[in-house]
Order: sequence, then structure tokens, then C-alpha cells
Amino acid sequence: MLNPFAVAGASLPAGFLQGFLVVMALAVVLGTLFDIVHKGSARYFFANMRNSRGRGRELGGGELASIAVQTAVVDVLASGEFCNARRRVAHLLGMYGFVLYVVATAVMVFGYPGEPMATPRIWPLLWWIGAWMVMIGGYWFWFFIRVDVAAEGHSPLRLAKADLFVLSLLASVTLGAIWAALGGGVGLVFWLYLLATVVLFGGVPWSKFAHMFFKPAAAFDKRVSRANGSAENLPTQTRDDPAQQQRHSMELLRNAPMDMGLGIKREAPRHY
Amino acid sequence: MAYHTIVEDDIDILVVGAGLGGTGAAWEARFWGQDKKIVIAEKANIDRSGAVAQGLYAINCYMGTRWGENNPEDHVRYARIDLMGLVREDLLFDMARHVDSTVHQFEEWGLPIMRNPKTGRYLREGRWQIMIHGESYKPIVAEAAKKSADKVFNRICVTHLLMDESRPNRVAGAVGFNVRTGNYHVFKSKTVVCSAGGASNIFKPRSTGEGAGRTWYAPWSSASAYGLLIEAGAKMTQMENRIVLARFKDGYGPVGAYFLHLKTYTQNSLGEEYESKWFPELQKMVGKEYLDPEASHLTHRPIPTCLRNHCIIQEVAAGRGPIHMVTMQAFQDPHLEEVGWENFLGMTVGQAVLWAATDVDPKHENPELTTSEPYVMGSHATCSGAWCSGPEDVSPPEYFWGYNRMTTVEGLFGAGDAVGGTPHAFSSGSFTEGRLAAKAACKYIDDGKGEGIVVSNAQIERRRKQIYKPLEHYRVYRNAVVAGTVNPHYINPQQGLDRLQKLMDEYCGGYTVGYMTNEKLLNICLKKLAIMEEDLESVAAKDLHELLRAWELKHRHRAAECVTQHTLFRKETRWPGYYYRGDVMKVDDENWHVLTVSRRDPETGEYTMERAPCYHLVEDEEATASRQAPAQKLSA
Amino acid sequence: MPTFVYMTRCDGCGHCVDICPSDIMHIDPTYRRAYNIEPNMCWECYSCVKACPQHAIDVRGYADFAPLGHSVRVDRDERKGTIAWKIKFRDGTEKNFLSPITTKPWGTAIPKLAEVPAPSSEQRDGQLLYNEPKYIRLDEGGLRTLKDAGLKLKKGVYY
Repeated sequence: MLNPFAVAGASLPAGFLQGFLVVMALAVVLGTLFDIVHKGSARYFFANMRNSRGRGRELGGGELASIAVQTAVVDVLASGEFCNARRRVAHLLGMYGFVLYVVATAVMVFGYPGEPMATPRIWPLLWWIGAWMVMIGGYWFWFFIRVDVAAEGHSPLRLAKADLFVLSLLASVTLGAIWAALGGGVGLVFWLYLLATVVLFGGVPWSKFAHMFFKPAAAFDKRVSRANGSAENLPTQTRDDPAQQQRHSMELLRNAPMDMGLGIKREAPRHY
Repeated sequence: MAYHTIVEDDIDILVVGAGLGGTGAAWEARFWGQDKKIVIAEKANIDRSGAVAQGLYAINCYMGTRWGENNPEDHVRYARIDLMGLVREDLLFDMARHVDSTVHQFEEWGLPIMRNPKTGRYLREGRWQIMIHGESYKPIVAEAAKKSADKVFNRICVTHLLMDESRPNRVAGAVGFNVRTGNYHVFKSKTVVCSAGGASNIFKPRSTGEGAGRTWYAPWSSASAYGLLIEAGAKMTQMENRIVLARFKDGYGPVGAYFLHLKTYTQNSLGEEYESKWFPELQKMVGKEYLDPEASHLTHRPIPTCLRNHCIIQEVAAGRGPIHMVTMQAFQDPHLEEVGWENFLGMTVGQAVLWAATDVDPKHENPELTTSEPYVMGSHATCSGAWCSGPEDVSPPEYFWGYNRMTTVEGLFGAGDAVGGTPHAFSSGSFTEGRLAAKAACKYIDDGKGEGIVVSNAQIERRRKQIYKPLEHYRVYRNAVVAGTVNPHYINPQQGLDRLQKLMDEYCGGYTVGYMTNEKLLNICLKKLAIMEEDLESVAAKDLHELLRAWELKHRHRAAECVTQHTLFRKETRWPGYYYRGDVMKVDDENWHVLTVSRRDPETGEYTMERAPCYHLVEDEEATASRQAPAQKLSA
Repeated sequence: MPTFVYMTRCDGCGHCVDICPSDIMHIDPTYRRAYNIEPNMCWECYSCVKACPQHAIDVRGYADFAPLGHSVRVDRDERKGTIAWKIKFRDGTEKNFLSPITTKPWGTAIPKLAEVPAPSSEQRDGQLLYNEPKYIRLDEGGLRTLKDAGLKLKKGVYY
């Protein structure tokens, strides 16, 4: 198993690949900033957070820290917000796959630019594992799980603006895999791979890429709202509370189990 | 777009529309046809489709015979008077004598019914109404239907019924399209139970922006029951009997629990009782038989719904509006306050949203009422729908033609809003009607009446072209303009709906004209509807959702035409407060104590109108002498 | 008061699309999240609001007649068999409600009519429906007839 970037690097100007990675990273940062500033989404987000802070009780620093940790561990690292198991698994595959893939790419490009056979086997291996995880999670999502396909009945071949991120990600990783399988080097496939990668990272202001930063912030905000009692105006009274069990008509549930099973929510939302 | 044709064949009972009527039919059909193929075709998702989507807080049709609370014939008399004498008493008696078994089954299935803590009986809101926590009423009955049916097709907009080609006037199934995939679905069936929706949104609503969605009766009740039945050549009855409702303003929240349980009452803007001052004039118009305030006061006989509307309309026109519901006293009681709010949350959440938005707390102010725009349906305080056969043991010979709830088209049955002449059925009565239709449909099949049906590919192909035409039309003629919705070659469904609503409102007695119409206006209405029908050949749909709206519009239009024909035919003002015939401002029992029946010829589009005699339940002197069962007294 | 979907909460699961009786909850092509495509056909039935596992859908009163600043939110809990509401007025007044939505575990108390004893031919020829006459009055009484009521149907003008 060899380091395909080292193979290509031999035919490219020195520092080309390294520079390319730096430019891609910058594109993400600048693209996200541009997206936030241009749309004003950060202003909205903080205004909203101030609002909900104002409605509930004040939370202490320790509490906030603990919530931040929970957000990081459950919502970010375990993609805990997904209520649908298939979607969650597909997302985890794609997310961790992408992380492995990017880290391995960076290590191979910056750490082992010289002799392809000198790279420790672990790095190309992790790169391939990452690539396969992205492809499995991604194609599974693309053809079966995408809500406009699954719930709305559209053809999987229909393209919309929302598909920019997933499509460019799949294109980039797939082309990369093909390129590496062909031995690396600098040919047509290599340039197509780079093009897809530019679209992926450069398309941040127009794609859902930046949502990877927004979603954790939103998850944190949701947890804070729950903790400070405002709960985004959602009702908080439940049948678990003995006081609520005494309420008018709740006596109709006196002999009913606490778990009544599922009714409408039993089945997947695909009724057509 | 290449859509597939998907054929479902050898169906015994096809239930079109899975609301309360349809779920009742599907449920019961399995018992009488354990080996039969039962298929449901539903426009939306059976778990929440129909008028009961958000739930109900009361079941308004329950006799309580187990506690000796009422007899079926009492309900018939009640419905008769509320509808100013014109109902199908055979169908009503039949529905009322079965409805209790429906309600008891609902409770067994898990529907929470409130109990009176003192008596242990169901908590009554009023004489016919019991209180329930019915937020999940629809999911519960949908589950029952799903357990009985072989297949449930959701998201199928049924556009037409198929007709047998081996002989005239026999149904052969239905066709429609899948709103998600776009595929063409063909259902070949020996019988069809038409239990689709009645008509909302055929008259201009009071709120016309986003608020057009806050109809009293669900906006997805697109008159498809009538559209399908009329196109199949079934006879319709009482289509002029549109209903206008006095409800909380804008939100159209229900007032039943308020009047009956909270004991609230109405006042004009000066804080006065206003109804009685309009009664003398009204009594001259309708006759003492229908409006006798003294007798009503003594016997607790309710004043007909339409007449109470009339009082509101007149009072407001006289400049003493708005009419208020006096709630401030009742809402001081915390239990009644809770019920008052739950009443909306379990049935019409929009009303609670409106009061929250406008800071209306009924404890501190008396909220406004208004009369709504007209609706046409058949299970509330109104009874438009198909002309159906009744049960053999009750119906007079001219009302019985073989199978209970069968329309005049063989093998085509109705349930719920689709059936005419059975008002005050509400949810439980509609489900019961579905059960009756299902049993009859199974018998029809067992009697061999569904044999030898022929449906040609030509018929199927013809319907296919018709169904997708709006998509094709858009695709081609979109090229004529740069962008936007204005195109000389077509109208989109929303534009068509706006036009229909305005037309019906202005010429057929909508709210902007004080529910007033006359012969001249009605004839103009028919002319304009005919022109609109031509334009409907040019309705354009840009996607499947718009195609759905296009077919809903076509069904609405067909129903509106029938409503206008009936309104023209009945030369009297039978229901002041629902609508007025300015040229005949009286009840005319001598000539018009009849049920109007129409048939539109599917080939020519011509309407034939007839008067069907009205039969009433009267004392049977011979039977009284030899009666077996003791009379059941009304308990307090 | 039509529905709207919070950008930060919707994860594009499709439950609202699947349940909407009006076919107006659809997926936005730019964000792949849900939104209400036709507010003037929205009945505010709350089917989508109740179905959303993320509580991402909320309602804002119809702009024709409802001022801003209110909130009516719901939590429909199938497992507990309850529905909870929180109403917040524009002026801040708050009301909370909790009610049962079923008394039995979902679907368990509904028989499969394919598996019950078949009806006799006498039942088929008569007027009784399933579970009748027992379930009408929950006693040994029969189905009411015109004879029981001492009535007949007569054509004409009677009141």
C-alpha cells in the first residue's frame, strides 16, 4: 500500500500539494465566515440565544461547561441528535470517515512527501478506510436515505442545490479512490480529483458544509434552553409527575402502563 | 416524465377516502368478507387524513341507549327539526340505532371518553354529545381500518370512478395518481365505497390570505365525494342545503362545549339578548311549526341552527354587532376554564393560537362570534350528498333498492359526508354509516351482483390522459412567457380556486352578499360555471402537488355546479340563516316539503331535477297496541 | 396560523412530509430541510408539529388576523399516552395543559376481524353489524326497530 500523494508529488512542483491543502483549509474558514457575515446568521443566532437566556433562570459557569461537554460528546461525537437510526449510522460513517481521510491526507502530504514506499503503512491504510467509510455512508445516503427521495418520492437522480456538499464530497472521495487505485501519479483522474475537491471546499458559502459548525452551536443552545427552564416554550409537564397524574381526565390512565408503545411513530415516514 | 401504470385487480371492496366514513367501511368489511379483498385508496396519510386530523373533543352523535338516555327516534326528530323538516328519516333512524355500538367499540380500542364522576356514565355535553379526549381519534380508528384492509394506498388522489362497460350505471373501480411518485393507479373493484370529503373552500372565505387555510371544515375536503359521485351519474340530494356556522371569529373554534357544558350564551355589542326580537318576523317567514319559541322553551326543543344564524346575521346587519359569547362568568370556574381551552386544543388548535396572539382571555373578556362562509357537506347540521338506498326493514319501498347506503349507481356505496339526508351523524355516525355500507357491499358481492364487469383499456387510457393533462399543458405553454404566473394559455389551480370562490360567493349566496341569492343570480352563476368548466381544460400544474390541487379544483367545481342547480330548483327559503332566495322569502311546505334530487348525465352534462317525497316517522296506531318492548323514558 | 420549521432544529427526517393531510410540508431544495409550501392551505392541524421528533416545527398565527409574539407548542408523547400543551400569550400569560390521548397501548385492543368467528347467514341477512346487538346497549336487548318504537314512515308534511 503506497502513499499516492508522494507518487504525484514527484511529478509536481515542490510544495504544490502542501500549498493546495492550505488553500483548501483557508477556503473553508473564509467561506464559513463569509456565509455567516453575508447572511447575518451569527447575529440571528446570538440574538436568539440572548432571548432564550432572558426567559429562563441564569445558569452557572459549571453548568454551562458541563452542557458544553455533553454537546461535544453526545451531539457532535456520537451524532446523537439524529432520531432515525439509519440516518445516524450513515452520518457517523461519513463524518468519521471524512476525519480519518482528511487527517491521513494531511499526514501523508506534509509528513511523508518524499519516497512513496517510505510512508508507514498505517497512513495509506487509514486513508483508504476513511475513503470507504465516506463512500458507503455517502452513497447509502444519496440513494436511499435522502429525505427528498425517501419521503417525498423524488428520483435519486434528481439534483438540487442542497446536494452540492454531498455530491462534491462523494465525487472528491470517489475520484481520489480511483486515482489511488490506479497508482497515484498525475493524469486526468488526478486533475478531476482536485477539481472535485476545489468544488467541495470552495463551495462552502453555497453548500451545507458550514452546517458542521452551526449544528453543534444549535445543539448547545437547545441543551441550555432545556436546562434553564425555558425549553424553547415547549411544554414540560409530563405524566411522570404525580401532581399531573391527579389532573382532570388523567384518571382515565390510572390503569394504563407507563409505556403504551408506539402508534403513528411505529413506522418509517414512507407512506406512499 | 414517464409514470408507470399500476393496476390493482380483483378488489371486492374499494374504499375511496379513509376518513371516519371510510375507516368504518374498511373495518367492518372484513367481518362480513373475511375472504374478500379490501383495499383503501387515500389522498393523504390514513393516520391523520380527513376532517378529524387534529382530533375531536366531543362525539356529537351518541344515543346512550344503554343507560336509557335516548331512543333513536328521538334523534331523528331532533335532526328533522334542525334541518327544517327535510331529512331522510329512514337513514337517520338506521344510523342512530347502530351508532352506540360504534362508540362502545371506540372506547374499547382506547379512545379516552370522559366519565361523569357521580353517575359513572359518559360525561354528556348535551343530549346527544359526549366529551372525549380525542386528539388521537383518527390514528386510533385508522389502526382499526389498517387491521382489516388487505392494502392501504396512501397519497393516491382518486380523480374518477371507473364504470362498467358491459351494462350502464354500474361501478367498476377507480383511478387516480400517486402524489409522491406520480404513478397512475388503477383499481378494479366489484364495489366502491365513496367516503371522500365534502366541500370546503367553494365559497369565498372570510380570510383570504394565509387565513384562507383556517376553514371551519378541513381545507383538504375538496368536494371529492361529490365530484366522483356526480361524474359517475349518481343521483344527489339536498345539495342546496349548504351550512353556515356561527363560531368564534376568524379561528372558527367550536362553540358546542361552550353552550352546552360551560353554559355560555350570546349577546350583541350592547350586552343585550337579541334572538327573541327577530323571532316574530322569522316565524312569519318559516311558520310556527318550525319556530315556536314558547314551545321550545317549555319542551327544551332546540331552535334550528339556521334560524339562530339568521338572528346573528340580522342583528349584525342592524348595526349592533359584533356578537359576543359571554364567557366571563363561566371561566371563573377553573375546571370550566380548563375545558374551555382543551376544547380547542383537542379539536381546533388555531383558535387557541388566535387567542394567544390577541391576548384574549375569556375570563376577562367575551370573545367575538361570526357567521362563516358556506360549506357543503353531509354529516353536520346539514345533509347534502348522494341519494342512497336505506335499510330494508325501515325504508319505504321507494327509498329501498336492494342494498343499504347504495347510491343509484349499482355497486357504488356512500358513507359519511358522501351520503345525503343524514345530518347530525358527525364522526361516530359517519363511521357507523361506513359500517352499514360495508356490510351491504359484501352482500351485494355475495348475491353475485358484481359479476361480469368489463373495463376496457380504452377507458383506462382515456382517464390517464385526462389526469396528466394539466402537467402536459404547463410543460408546453410555459414556453409562451418569460416567467411568472400570468399566461394567456392557462390558469393555475390557485387562480381557478379564487375564481370559483368569488363566483359562488357573489351569485350563489356567499357571505359578502349576506347569503342572498335569487333565480336571476343563480342562472348567471350557472353560465359562469359553464365557462369556467371550459377554462378548466386549460388548468396547468407545474408539479405533482399542483396536479393534486388541479383535481381538487375540478371536484370542487363539479360540486359547486350541482349546488347551484339545486339552489335554483328549490323555490323557497327553507333555511334562512344558511341562505336566502330573495325572490321567494318563505318556507313553502305545500310545494316544497320534499327532498330535491338531481342527476347529471355523464355524457351530456345535462341536469335532471326531481322532487322526492319526504317521509316522516309518525305514530303507528296498530303497532302501539301490540308493542313488545317497553317505551324507554328519557332520563334526567 | 400556519406552520414553519426552525432551521437549527430540522434534520430532514421526513416525518412531517409523510403525515401532512394537506400535502404542504415539503423539502426545501437549498437546505434539504422541511418547510410549509402553501400556508393558505394550512389548517393548523398540528399533525406535523406533533410528528416532528426534534420539535422543529412551530406555528405562527395566520398573518391575516393574528398579531406576532405568541406561542402554542405541544409535546405528543405516544409512549406515555399523553399530550402536553404550553400556550404563551403575546402579553406573557402562560397556560399549561396535559391530557390522555389513549387509554390502551396502541393497537393492542383492536381485534383482527379476519380472525374472529365468521357471521352466521342469519346475521348476514339481518340488520346487525359486528358485535351487535350486544355492543349497542351492553345487555341482552336487540336492535331497535320501527315496531319497537311504535312508529311508521309516512309520506307528507309532518313536523
